[in-house]
Amino acid sequence: MKKSHGSLLLVTTLTASMVTACANPSSAPSDQSGNSSAPAGPAKITIMANLHTAEVPSDTIEKMVEEKTNTELTIQWVPDGSYEEKLNAAFATGSLPQATYLKNQTSLLMFRDAIRGGQFWEIGPLLKDYPNLKNLDPNVLNNTSVDGKIYSLYQERPLSRQGVIYRKDWADALGLPEPKTTEDLYQMMKAFKEKDPDKNGKNDTMGLTDRNDLVYGAFKTVASYYGTPNGWGEKDGKLAPEFMFPQYLETMKYFQRLHKEGLINQDFPVTSKTDQQNLFITGKAGMYIGSLSDSQSLYQKLITVNPNMKLDVANRITGPEGKAGIWAIPGYGSAVLFPKSAVKTEAELKQILSFYDKLMGAELGNLIYHGIEGKHFTLVEGKVSQVDDLKLTDREIKPYQALQVGGENTIKGFKESYFKIPVKDKAEKLVKDNNSILIHDPTAPLDSKTYTEKGARLQEGIKDATYKFILGAIDEAGFRSAVEKWQKEGGDKIIEEYNASYQQSKK
Amino acid sequence: MNQVAAKSNAIAKKRGNESGLFKRMLKNRAIYLMILPGLLFFLIFKYVPMWGLIIAFQDYKPYLGITGSPFVGFEHFERLFSDDMFFTILRNTLLLFGMNLLFYFPVPIILALMLNEVRHAMFKKWVQTLVYVPHFMSWVIIVSITFVMLSMDRGLINEILVMMGFEKINFLLSNEWFRPMYILQVIWREAGWGTIIYLAAMAAIDPGLYEAARMDGAGRFRQIWHITLPSVRSVIMTLLILKIGDVLELGFEHIYLLLNSMNREVAEIFDTYVYTAGLKQGQYSFSTAIGFFKSVVGLMLVMAANWLAKKAGEDGIY
Repeated sequence: MKKSHGSLLLVTTLTASMVTACANPSSAPSDQSGNSSAPAGPAKITIMANLHTAEVPSDTIEKMVEEKTNTELTIQWVPDGSYEEKLNAAFATGSLPQATYLKNQTSLLMFRDAIRGGQFWEIGPLLKDYPNLKNLDPNVLNNTSVDGKIYSLYQERPLSRQGVIYRKDWADALGLPEPKTTEDLYQMMKAFKEKDPDKNGKNDTMGLTDRNDLVYGAFKTVASYYGTPNGWGEKDGKLAPEFMFPQYLETMKYFQRLHKEGLINQDFPVTSKTDQQNLFITGKAGMYIGSLSDSQSLYQKLITVNPNMKLDVANRITGPEGKAGIWAIPGYGSAVLFPKSAVKTEAELKQILSFYDKLMGAELGNLIYHGIEGKHFTLVEGKVSQVDDLKLTDREIKPYQALQVGGENTIKGFKESYFKIPVKDKAEKLVKDNNSILIHDPTAPLDSKTYTEKGARLQEGIKDATYKFILGAIDEAGFRSAVEKWQKEGGDKIIEEYNASYQQSKK
Repeated sequence: MNQVAAKSNAIAKKRGNESGLFKRMLKNRAIYLMILPGLLFFLIFKYVPMWGLIIAFQDYKPYLGITGSPFVGFEHFERLFSDDMFFTILRNTLLLFGMNLLFYFPVPIILALMLNEVRHAMFKKWVQTLVYVPHFMSWVIIVSITFVMLSMDRGLINEILVMMGFEKINFLLSNEWFRPMYILQVIWREAGWGTIIYLAAMAAIDPGLYEAARMDGAGRFRQIWHITLPSVRSVIMTLLILKIGDVLELGFEHIYLLLNSMNREVAEIFDTYVYTAGLKQGQYSFSTAIGFFKSVVGLMLVMAANWLAKKAGEDGIY
C-alpha cells in the first residue's frame, strides 16, 4: 500500500480489513488462542429467545444452569409479538447471537435460502457424539432439514393438540351426548343457538366461536374430520395441495352452513383470539375448536364467571367418510440455529452443542421446564404439580421453557406433569390419543423454490377465496377460478417442484 | 472573432457571479452556518439512505449485502407491473386518495372557518381541544373502537339497526362499506388537527379589513367569502400541493388494520401490498422496487401540482 494513493484509499482499506476481520476472525490469532485455553473460565454463550410472558424473567434458573454447565449465558429476551421482526433485523445486520431460536416452522422455511447459502453450521454429523442430543427424533430432525442436511436442534411439540372444547352443562341441559360426528357437532351448535342452553329465556347464545385463522382456528381441524389432507395430499400417486381435494370443498360448505344459520360468530374472519375466547368465557358461545390445551385457561376464566359450569373435551370426530383423523405439525416448535457470523470455529460450535447436550439431560431438562421442587412444584404420584402462584411461575419458569431442546419423548427421565383440573387432564390424554390418528404434511421435509418465493403470497389468494366461499360471496365456480389463478401464477410450478422432490425422497 | 469574444465575456461574467456569491456567503457566514445542521440532516438521513435504492435492481440477499448481491436490472419492476393485482392496487390507491382530497381536505378548512367565527374565547378553546383529541389516538385504538361498534355479533350500531327494524349490515366484511368507513375514520381523527394551520393563518389577517368591510355593510358570510378565504388561499394551495405529494402514502397502519379477505379488492394499496408480498417473506428487493415506484409517482405529481399552482398565479412551494 503506497502512501501516494491518498487518504481515501487508506480509509477504504482500513474499513475493508475491519469488515473482513469481523466476518472471518478465525484468521486472527487472538481468537484461536481463546479456544485452546477455554477451560480457564466459564464458556460464554449468547442466546436470543422469545419471551411469552409480559415481565422480564428473574435469573434464578439461569444462575443455576450457568453453574451446572460452567457457562456464562447472555440471553436476549425478545417479546413474542415482535420476535420475527427482531430476528430479521438481526439477520440483516449480521448481529445474530450464537444460538438463534426460530419460533416455528414458518420462520425456518424463511431461512432455508440463507441456510443453503452457508450462513449456518451444519450439525447433523456431530449429533451422534453427544449422549443426549443423539436421542432427538430422526424423523423430526428430517422435517427440519434443508437438502437432507441437519442444521438445527429442535424443541419438541405434541404432534397434534387439536380438538373440540364444549360446554358440558349446556349439553346436559339439552340432553345432548358427546359429539361423535361432524353432524353431531352441527346439531350441538344448532341446539346451543336455538334452544336457550343457559335457560335465561333470551335468544343470546351461539354455537361455535371462531377467529381469523384458518389453520389454528376451527377450519383446519374440521377439515381433518372431513378427511382433508394436511397441507398437501397424495392423489393418484402425485402430491396436490389440500384445496384441490373434494373434502376441502365439503368443509367449506359445512362452514358456509354454520355461517348462514348464525351458528358461528358472524365476524369470525376479523375476530382476534382474545375476542374469540371472550365469547366463550362470557357464556355467549358454547363450543371452541382449536388447541385442546386452551381448556385449562378457558376453564379457569369461565369458573370465575359461572361457578356452576362444566367443560368437556372431545375428539376423534368422524366426517361422512367415517374415519377419524387429525392434522399434525412436523413435531417441532422452535428450532435452534447456529450462525457462522457468531460462532466462529468448529471448536466453539462443539462447546455450544455440549451446553445443549447438558441442557437436554434429565436434571437440567426438568429444571428449566418445571423449576425447583418445593418452590415451583410439588410431586403428586411422581408427577409434577405446579404451584398455583401464576405470577411466580410466569416470572421464573415459563420464560426458560422457551430454551428447552427436545421434550417429553426425547429427554430421558423427564418428569410428567400432573393436572389438577380434570378437563385439562382429559385434554392431555386426548392429545396423546391424537398420536394414533395423525395426518402428516408430506411436504414438511420437501423443497420447492417457487414455494419459498411466492408460496405464502399465493396462499393468501386461497385464503381469501375460502373466506369468500364461506361467507357466500362466491360459489364453487368462483372458488375453482381462484384455484386456477393459484395454479397459473406459480402453483403449477410448486406442484411440479414438490413432486420432483417427493420422488427423490422416496428413492 | 466575435463569437470568441462573447464566449470569454460570458465566462468572465460567470466567474464574476461565482466570486460574488462566495463573497456574499463569506459576508453572511453566520447565516449560512445556521443552515448547515439542516443540510447535514438531509444529507445523512435523506440522501445517503437513497444508496439503498440500489437493491431494487438487485436480487438482494441480506448476508451478501449490497456489494455482494447480483444485479437483475428491471426484473422486480416487471414483476410489479405484470402482477394481476397491480391495476387493482393502483385503482384503490388513487380512489382512496381522491376521496381524501374530495371529502377530507375541505373539512379542516370549513371547521377552521367555523371556529374562527366563534367569538367567545373560552368556548373556542374548549371546542379546539375537543377536536384535537382524536389525533392523539393511534389507529389501532380507532379501528378497534369501530370494530366493537360495527360488529355483527352484538355491535352497537347493528343492535340499533335491528331495534329499528332494519337488517344487520356487515360493515367489516364488505366491499361497499370499506371506503366510507375509511374516510369517516380519517375525518374523525385528523380534521380537528388539520385546522391548526388555517386558524393560525386566519389569526394573521388584518382586523382592519373586516372593519372596513363592515362599514361597507358586509355581513358575516360576505366577510368570510371576500376576506377570510382569499387571505388563506395561499396556505390552502401549499397544503394541497404537499398533500398531493403523499398520493401513494395513505397510511399503512390504518388500512392494514381494516384489511381482510372480504374487502381486499377495494382495500389493498401499495403499502399493504409491500408488506404482504414483500416484507413478510423477506423479499427486500421487490419491496424496495415498489417503494421506488411510489416515490417517483409522488414526485411527478408534486411537480405537476406545483406547475399548475404557478399557472393559477399562486407561489407554489418552490
